[in-house]
Amino acid sequence: MRSYGMESGVVFDIKEFAVHDGPGIRTTVFLKGCPLRCTWCHNPEGISPLPEPMRTATGERTVGETFTAEELADRLNSQADILRANEGGVTFSGGEPLMQAAFVSAVIDRLTDVHVLLDTSGHASERDFRAVVSKVDLVHFDLKLMDAGQHQRFTGQPNDLVLTNLSVLETLGIPYVVRVPLVPGVTDTIENMCAIAERLDGSPGLIRVELLPYNRAAGGKYEASQRPFEPGFDERIAVRRDTRPFDALGVPVRVAS
Amino acid sequence: MTPRLQSMRDSVRSKEHARFRQEKPPAVVEDFDAAGLSWMQRNARLTRRMCEAENVVIQPEERIVFTRTVPSVPLVYDGEEWAACFDGGKAHELGPISNICADWGYVLSQGLNGRKRAAETARAQAADDPAAVEFLDSAMEAIDAVLALAERYATEARRLGHDDVADVLERVPAEPPSGFREALQALRFLHASVWMSGHYHVGLGRFDQYMIPYLHADLASGKLTVDDAEELLAEFFISLNKDSDLYPGVQQGDNGQSLMLGGVTREGQDAVNELTWMVLRAAAKVNMIDPKINLRVTSETDLELLELAAQLTKRGLGFPQYSNDDVVIPGLLQHGYALEDARDYTVAACWEYIIPGKGMDIVNIGAVSFPAAVSEAILGGLAAGSGFQGILERTRENITSQAANAVNHCRNIILPPAPYYSALMTECLEGGVDLSAGLVYNNYGIHGACSANAADALAAVKQFVFDEERVEASELVNALITNYEGREDLRLLLQKDGPKVGNNDEQADAMLTELFAALADACETFEDNGRGGIVRPGTGSAMYYVWLARGHEDMREPVVGATADGRRQGEFFSSSLAPSPGTRSRGPLSILQTYSKLDYQRICNGGPITLELSDAVFRDEEAIHKVAMLVRAFAQLGCQQLQLNTLSVETLHDAKQHPENHQNLIVRVWGWSGYFCELGPEYQDHVIARHMHTF
Repeated sequence: MRSYGMESGVVFDIKEFAVHDGPGIRTTVFLKGCPLRCTWCHNPEGISPLPEPMRTATGERTVGETFTAEELADRLNSQADILRANEGGVTFSGGEPLMQAAFVSAVIDRLTDVHVLLDTSGHASERDFRAVVSKVDLVHFDLKLMDAGQHQRFTGQPNDLVLTNLSVLETLGIPYVVRVPLVPGVTDTIENMCAIAERLDGSPGLIRVELLPYNRAAGGKYEASQRPFEPGFDERIAVRRDTRPFDALGVPVRVAS
Repeated sequence: MTPRLQSMRDSVRSKEHARFRQEKPPAVVEDFDAAGLSWMQRNARLTRRMCEAENVVIQPEERIVFTRTVPSVPLVYDGEEWAACFDGGKAHELGPISNICADWGYVLSQGLNGRKRAAETARAQAADDPAAVEFLDSAMEAIDAVLALAERYATEARRLGHDDVADVLERVPAEPPSGFREALQALRFLHASVWMSGHYHVGLGRFDQYMIPYLHADLASGKLTVDDAEELLAEFFISLNKDSDLYPGVQQGDNGQSLMLGGVTREGQDAVNELTWMVLRAAAKVNMIDPKINLRVTSETDLELLELAAQLTKRGLGFPQYSNDDVVIPGLLQHGYALEDARDYTVAACWEYIIPGKGMDIVNIGAVSFPAAVSEAILGGLAAGSGFQGILERTRENITSQAANAVNHCRNIILPPAPYYSALMTECLEGGVDLSAGLVYNNYGIHGACSANAADALAAVKQFVFDEERVEASELVNALITNYEGREDLRLLLQKDGPKVGNNDEQADAMLTELFAALADACETFEDNGRGGIVRPGTGSAMYYVWLARGHEDMREPVVGATADGRRQGEFFSSSLAPSPGTRSRGPLSILQTYSKLDYQRICNGGPITLELSDAVFRDEEAIHKVAMLVRAFAQLGCQQLQLNTLSVETLHDAKQHPENHQNLIVRVWGWSGYFCELGPEYQDHVIARHMHTF
C-alpha cells in the first residue's frame, strides 16, 4: 500500500503509559470506527467512525479528533526515545484500526525506529490486513467465537474474514498473540475454548494465547456515550477461566489479571 | 509478617499503648526559674526532665523497646518570657529546631559515651570560653539524661526477666552497637529523645548507609539470618509509628520521619546494598505511614530495585519518593555544597535536600505564591492596557518582591539552643558551638507554589487575549473579578481550550519555566540570607495548595480569587509539580517531558512531580516492571524528584462516608503519607480531587 502525507484519520484517545497493550512503556492510539458490534464492547465511543459528544463526570466533551498522518507521527515521535529506551513502543488499537488502514499505514511509515504493535479484531479486507501487518513488529489478534452463527449473533458480523486473516497472519512471519475475551456463557464455553485451542494448535508464529476475563465495568461508558447497554448475556455469571483445552494441546496460554 | 509483628502492628494502629500515657508533661518552668537557668541550660534540663518523667514500658513481645508516655513537651519559659526570647527577631514556625537530619552514623559509631568524651575534650580546650563551656556542659547533661533513661529500661528489663532486651540496653546507646539489633535499639532511643527535646520533623537520613556495617557484622558472624534481621527491622519500623499522634505538624502524619535509601557513597561509589533491599521489603510488609521511604536513583539504577520499590507504590503507601542523583548532586554543587557532602544528601521532612549532620538549612521559610503574582499582573496589566510582555514583567516584579519579603521576614530568625540535638551533629561538640549558631550549610529554601495554575493562566491570556484576540481584556478582567458570574462560556474556553502544563505544550511550558526562572533570579540576588547562607528556590507546594486558595493566618500573600486558567475562586491549586486540578493531561510521559524543561541546576530545593496512577494499572502482571521503567524514564529525562501514588477514587469516596471501614487507608498528602481518616476534610477533598484524574 502507498501512503500519502495528507492521509488523515480520526482518533478517540491517545493513551500514554498504556500498561495493558503490549510490552514495555507504550503509547496506544485508539482509532475511531469499528465494523463489529460486540455486545460486550468496552469502548463504545470507538464504534462510530465520526467525532461525537460524550458526557463524563467532568462535563461534556467531543470524542474523536482528526489528525493528519504527519501530525500524529510527530506527536508519537516526540516520545519515541522514551518508548525505545524502555522496551516499549506504539500500539494501534481501536475501534478497529484497520478501518483506517491507509492512515495507520501512513503514520507507521513516519515513525522513527519504534516498536509497533497492531491490536486488531482481524475483521478487515485481506489486502488491508496484509498491508498493515507487514509494517508492524507484533500483532494482538482477537479471536472471539469459532462458531460462525454465534459470531454473527454477538458481534454482528460473520467470522470468515477473521479466520482468513488468521491464516494470512500465520504465513507472514510476524509474531502474534491471540487474545480471547472471556465473556460469560458466550465465549468462555468449553466448546468455544476447545475449538480455538484446536485452531491454534501448531499455529506458526503464535507467541501465546491470552484470555481476557470480561470486565463488568463495561456498562458505565454506555451511559456516557448515550447508548443502551444490552449485552445479551448475564453479566453476573462468573467467567470460566479454564485453560485446560490449551494446556492439553500444549498451546501456550495465560489468563490476564 | 510473623504473628508477633502482626499483633504489634495492630496494637500500635489501635493505639493500645496510649494507656501508658500520662496525663500531662512535667511542670518545669518554676524549677528552671528558681535555678536561674539560661535558655541553653533550660533546654538541656528539659531533655533531662522529659527523660526522667518517662515511665518504663516493656511489653512482653517487644525486642526493640521504648514507648513514650509523656504526652507533650512543655515550653521552657512561661508565655511572655517565651515570646521575649525572640525579641529583636522571630521564631521559625513553633520555635525549636526542626526539619533537619542528624549524623546518625557518626553518633552510632561513637555511642553516646563517645559523644560525651568528645564534649569533655572540647570543654578542656575551651575552659576560658564561658559560652562554649555552658553549651558543652548542657550537651553532657542531655546525653546523661538519655543514658539514664536507657539504664532504667535496662534495669526493668532485667527485673522482668527480658534478659535479651537487658543485654542490649546495657550496651547501647552508651557504647557503639556490636550488631544490628543493638543499632536499631540505639537509634530508637536516640531518635525518640530528639522528639522529646521539643524538636520535630526529625529525619532518619541515609538509613541503609549508616546501618549496613551492623547488619553485615551479624550476617557474617551468623548471629542473624536475613529473615531475623528483616523481622527486627520491621519491628523498628512499627515502633516509629507509636507516637505519630503526639507529633506536631500541619496534619497528623506530617511528621518528617523520612529515610533515604540508595544513591552513591561520599566517595561516589554505588551505595545500594543489602539493607536498601531489606528496607523496601520490610516497609511493604509493615504497611504503615512511617518511616516515609525515599529512594535515590539515576538513569542507570537497577530495574529490579525499582521493581521492588514499585511494590510499595502498588500498596498505595504513596512512597517511595524518588530523587534523581544525576540532577540533584550537580544542583547542590552549583549552590556551594562540597562534592562529598552533595553525594551524601538526604531529604528533610518532605522533599527538601539536606546534608546529615552538616545542614542547618531552613529549607522551607515559605512560599512565593505564583498564583498571586500572576493574578495581580494579569488584572493590573490588563487594566493598565499593557501588552503581554508587560504582564510578564509585572509577574517577575511580583515574584521578586514576594521572595524579598519572605527572605527579609526571616533575616533574623532566632533558633533556640539545642544542646542534645547538637550532640548528634557532625561537629558541634568538637567545635564547642551549638547547632542553633549554624552548621556547615545554613541556606534557606523557598518554594514556588502552585506553578501549574499560574503558568496556565499566563498561557491562556497570551493565547486568547493577545495572540488570537478572541477575548477582550476588559471582558476577562470583569469575569475574573466576578468569579466568572454569568460567563461560564468564557471559563470553559479558558479551562478546556487553553494551553496547559503537563502536555509537553510549548506555550504553557514556556510560562512554567519563566515563573521558575524569575524565582531563581530573585533568590540569586541574596548573597547572604542573614545566617551566612544563600536562598535555594524549590518546586514544592506543601499545604499551600489549600492555603493560597482558602486563606491561612500564616500566609502573607492574599487569597487568590478566580484565575485566568478557568479556575473558580476557592478551588484548590495544583500540588508541587502537577498539572492544574481538573485539566486534561496527555499522560505521564507528557508530564515528565514538561517538567524536564525546568533548570534544576538553579531550582534545587526539591519538590516532586506528583503522578496519580489508576489502581487498574497494577492489575497487569507486568505493571511492576512497567512502573519501574516509568521511574527510570523520569531519571532519563533529567527530572529531579517524583512521587507516584495509586488509589481508587471509589475507595476514597467510601472512606469519606464510612471512615470506620477504612481506618488503615494510607494516602500521600504532600511530602508525607498519612491515614486518610485522620486528615482534615479539606485535605481529604484535595486527595480525592487528585485521584479523579489518574492515568
